[in-house]
Amino acid sequence: MSLFVRLKSWLRAVTFRSRLEREMDEELDFHLESYTLELIRRGVSPQDAARRARIEFGGATVHKEEMRASLGLRLWDDLRADLRYALRMLAKSPVFTIIAVGSLALGIGANTAIFTLAKQVLLDRLTVPHPEQLILFHWVAPKRTSVVNHVWGDFDVISDNATGTSFPYPIYQELRAHNQVLQDLFAFKGTGRLTVSVDGEADVVQSEMVSGNYYQELGIHTALGRPILPSDDTVPGNSNVVVISDGYWTKRFGRSPGAIGKVILLNSTPFTIIGVNPPHFTGAKNVHASPEVFVPFSTQPVLRPNGHGSFLDVPDMWWMQIMARPRPGISQQTATAALNVVFQAAVRSTAKPGKDEAMPHLVLADGSRGLNESARSLTQPVYVLMALAGLVLLLACTNIANLLLARSAARQREISVRLALGAGRMRLLRQTLTESLLLSFLGGLAGLFLGYIGFTAIPRLMSTPWEPLEFNGGFDGRVFAFTAGISVFTGLLFGLVPAWKAMQTEVNADLKDGAQTTTHRRKGVSGKAIVAFQIALSTILVVGAVLFARTLANLDSVNPGFNPDHLVIFSIQQPKSQYPAPQEIALHHSLEEKFAAIPGVESVTLSAIGLIAEDISEDNFVPLDSPQKASDKAQFDNAVGEQYFATMGIPIVAGRSFNSHDTETAPMVAIINQALARKLFPGVNPVGQEFRGGYDEDKVIQIVGICANTRYSTLRDDPPPLFYLPYRQVSSYLPSMNYEIRTRMGMAALMPLLRHAVQSVDKNLPLIDVRTQQQQIDQSIQQERTFASLTAGFGSLALILACIGIYGIMAYTVTRRTNEIGIRLALGAQAGQVMWMILSEACWLAVAGVGAGLGVALLITKYLRAMLFRLKPDDPFTLLLASLLLLAVALLASFLPARAASKVNPIQALRHE
Amino acid sequence: MNKQLDLLQGTLDMLILKAVSLGPQHGYGVLLRIQQISGDQLEIQQGSLYPALYRLEHQGAITSEWGESENNRRAKFYRLTAAGRAQLRTETGKWNRMTEVIAGILNTAPGEI
Repeated sequence: MSLFVRLKSWLRAVTFRSRLEREMDEELDFHLESYTLELIRRGVSPQDAARRARIEFGGATVHKEEMRASLGLRLWDDLRADLRYALRMLAKSPVFTIIAVGSLALGIGANTAIFTLAKQVLLDRLTVPHPEQLILFHWVAPKRTSVVNHVWGDFDVISDNATGTSFPYPIYQELRAHNQVLQDLFAFKGTGRLTVSVDGEADVVQSEMVSGNYYQELGIHTALGRPILPSDDTVPGNSNVVVISDGYWTKRFGRSPGAIGKVILLNSTPFTIIGVNPPHFTGAKNVHASPEVFVPFSTQPVLRPNGHGSFLDVPDMWWMQIMARPRPGISQQTATAALNVVFQAAVRSTAKPGKDEAMPHLVLADGSRGLNESARSLTQPVYVLMALAGLVLLLACTNIANLLLARSAARQREISVRLALGAGRMRLLRQTLTESLLLSFLGGLAGLFLGYIGFTAIPRLMSTPWEPLEFNGGFDGRVFAFTAGISVFTGLLFGLVPAWKAMQTEVNADLKDGAQTTTHRRKGVSGKAIVAFQIALSTILVVGAVLFARTLANLDSVNPGFNPDHLVIFSIQQPKSQYPAPQEIALHHSLEEKFAAIPGVESVTLSAIGLIAEDISEDNFVPLDSPQKASDKAQFDNAVGEQYFATMGIPIVAGRSFNSHDTETAPMVAIINQALARKLFPGVNPVGQEFRGGYDEDKVIQIVGICANTRYSTLRDDPPPLFYLPYRQVSSYLPSMNYEIRTRMGMAALMPLLRHAVQSVDKNLPLIDVRTQQQQIDQSIQQERTFASLTAGFGSLALILACIGIYGIMAYTVTRRTNEIGIRLALGAQAGQVMWMILSEACWLAVAGVGAGLGVALLITKYLRAMLFRLKPDDPFTLLLASLLLLAVALLASFLPARAASKVNPIQALRHE
Repeated sequence: MNKQLDLLQGTLDMLILKAVSLGPQHGYGVLLRIQQISGDQLEIQQGSLYPALYRLEHQGAITSEWGESENNRRAKFYRLTAAGRAQLRTETGKWNRMTEVIAGILNTAPGEI
C-alpha cells in the first residue's frame, strides 16, 4: 500500500487526536454493549452479561494501545511522553537548565553570528541566474618585466608573478570579436564615486560601468524601465543613460515610477534614468552591496570618474573586468588556450611590448563571487573567528557534559528502577537522548536569537559609520540549517555521556547498594579529566583574548605624530569636466578661504592624501647633487595647504613652513620629514637643497623646511620618509582634496555652515565622508577592535564556564569525601589544613589544564602573527597573564567548596555514613 | 458443540476484508459475520479485531464512516475500498494456491513418490 496513504492516515490521527481517542472509546463501548445484549438474548442475566462481556473482551487499554500502534502512533506517543518527561526534569532543576541552555545559547549564538559572516565573506554568490557558471578573466605575468604598467584596479604579486583582473578596453574588444569558445564576453568596472545632483541637491554615489550586453549576458531584467542595451554602448557620449539600484530608487525617489525618464547630473553631465534594478542585484563586482548607478562604458570619456580621461582607445591602461559564461561542450582548458592566442596577439599589436618584455597570459577563473575582494582581506580573520567560536562551543559542550555526568550519578537509582520494571535499554537511551536534544534545541533557539543580534554588530567590519552600506544576504536558509545542524550535533555530543551511563547501569547494583559506593571512582576521574580539558580550552581562548586586547591597546597608544583632537575632516571631489586642471586649484583655494571665514573655525587646511586612511601617493624624489639608485627614486608624498602643519599640529623642526607667498607662480618649494632627511641627506642640512621630481616628474624643487615624522597611511606602519608640496604648485590634476578643519564646534552645528560655504561656490558639489579625524583613526583599526571585543567576549565566556566546571567538580569532591574529612578533623587536622587540601587539589587540576592549554596555544597562535601589533604570538607576559588569570579563577571557584570542607562537623560526618 | 479452531496466523486481515466485501459493517458485525459464515467453528479474539481493522484502514484497504446500527445506536461502519478489493483478490489467490500445495503434500500416499 502506498506510503502516501499511510502518511495521510498518520497525519489525520496526529492532528485530530482527541477525536480519535473519543471514537475508539465509542467504538469499543458499542462492541461491549452489543455483545452484552447478545448474551442477554442467549439467557444470561443482565448483571452477569455486562461482566462476562468485559472479561471475554479483555483489557480495553491494551486493545486501544494496539489500535494506536496500528496507526503508527507508538513512536510519536513515546516521543511526546519523553519530551514531557524531559521538560519536567528540566523544570525541576531550573539552575541546571539555565546554566546549560545559557551556555549553549552563547556558544551556538557565537557560531551562528560568525558563520553568517563567513557565509557572506566566503560563500555568498552574485544574485544572478546561475552564478556558478560565471568566468572571470585574469592575467598573469612575471613581476616587473611585464607590459602591464598602468593599472587602475586590483594588482597582486604572488611570489614571482604579478596578476590582476583589469584589462584595456581595446584588448577587451579584440577578445570579444575573436571569441569562439565562450558565450559573448561582457565587461564591467567599479568606477567608484561620482557626484550626483538630483533636483539641485548634491550627493555622491558609487558607480559601475557596464558593457552594452551586460544585462543580457547576466540574465538580469530591470524591475522598472529598461536595462542598458548594446545600442547604448556604441558612440561615446551619445547615449547618456543610467540604471539605478533598488536601494537608491527607494532612498532618493521613494520608489516612484516617475523616476524613469528623469534627468540627473552625474559629474555635472546630464544623464537620463532608464531603469531600476531588481532588489538584491548587486552588480557583477561584489556580492555585498550594490553601486547606486550603472552606466554604459561609452559614457566613460564624458564622466571621467576619479579624474581619469578617456580610456576607451588607450591600449596600455588596464582597468576593466571581463566575464563570460561557458559554451556547452567546450572545456575551460580549450577555451583558455584559444583565448590566450587572441590575447597575446592583441597585446602585441596594441601595447607594442619591447623585445625582451615577457608576455602576460590569460587565466580563466571562478567569477561566481565577482571580484571577491572581501575574501582577500577577511578570509584569515574569519577563519580565526570560526576556530575561536568553535572552541567556545566545545567548551560549552564539555561544561554541560560535566553537569550531566553529575546528574546521571544522582539518577542512577531512578534508571535502575526503570530497568527493573522492564524498560528496554534502547528505550532508556532514547529517553536520555531526548533530554539532551531538548536542551540543545532550547540552546539553539536562544542561540539563533543571540546570533542575529551579534551578527548585526559585525558588518561594521566592511563598512564605515559615515558611509553605511546596506548588506545583502545575512540570515537565510543556510544559516538556519547551520544552527540546526550544530544544535543537534552538540546535543548528541554532550548527550553521549549520560546515555553511556544509562546503558551501563546494572539492574541490581544500584538497588542493593546505598547511593554511596559503586561508580564513584570512575566518575571522579572522568569528571576531573573533563574539567582539566575545560581549563585547557579556556587557556587557549584567554591567551587569544589577551593577545588581541594588547594588540588593540598597542595600536591605541601609537602616537600618530599629529594632533587628531577637534579635527573635522571631509573631502571634496570636483568633476573634471567642469574643473579641468589647473582650474581645480582656484576652486579649492576659494573653498579654503570660505571655510576659514566660518566663525568658530580655528584653522583650515587641505591635503591630497588624508592621514591614516590607507591612502598613499608616491612620486619621484631625486636630490640634484647626490647620486641615487634608480630603484629608489620614488618617495611617499602629499600635496597640502599652507596652514597644514599648524592645523595638524605637526612641528616644523628646521627651516620654514609653507606660506602665502608659495603661490602657483612662485619658485617651487617642498618640506620633507625627518625620516626622509635621515634617509637621503645623512650628515647634510637638507634645507636649501634641491631635488628633481614631485607630482610632475621633471621639475626642480627646493627644500625649505623639515617637519616631524607622522604616521601616513596606517597606524601600524612606522612613519615613512615623506615629502610635502604646496597643492597650489601641483599643476597636474588633483582628483579630490581632503579638508581638515580644527574647531571646537559640534558636528551638528558645523555641518550646515560647511554646506552653505560650499554651495556659495558651487551648488552641485557635495561634502563627502564628513567625520572627525579620531573617527577615521578608529575606523582604521576597526577590525582589530572588533577582534579584541569578540575574543574578549569569548575569553570571559570561557572563564565563566571554567569557573562553573571547577566549582561543580570540587563541590562534588567535597560531598564525596565528607566522611574522610570528618575522620581527619576528628584525628586533629586543623580547618586550615583541610581547606588547603581541597584548594591544592583544585590547583593541581588547574595547573595540568593550563599547562596543556599553553602547549596547544603556542602551536596555534603562531598563525596569528600577522594580525598582532608590537607583540609576538609567544609573548611571555601574555602567557603569564593568562595562566595567572586561570589559576586565580580556579582558586576562586574552589574557595566555597574548600570552606565548606573546613566547616565539616566531625561528629555529623562520621554518623552520616 | 464442536471444538473451535484457532485462527491461523495472518489470516484475520483476509477474513475481515472478505466480511466487509459483503457489505458495509461495523466492528461487532464483522465479528458476527465471520463467526456466522464459519458456522461458529472459528474463535476470533475479540480484542485483536480492532487493531486489525485500524491497521487495514491505515493501509487504505478499508474506509470507515459513522452511521446508525440496527438498534439505532451510533456505530462505525467499515467499507471496502478499491485497493482493499484488489488486496482481497490477490490474498485469496495466494491462499488458494497455498492450500492446494499443502493439501497435495499432506495427501501424498507412500507409493506416489
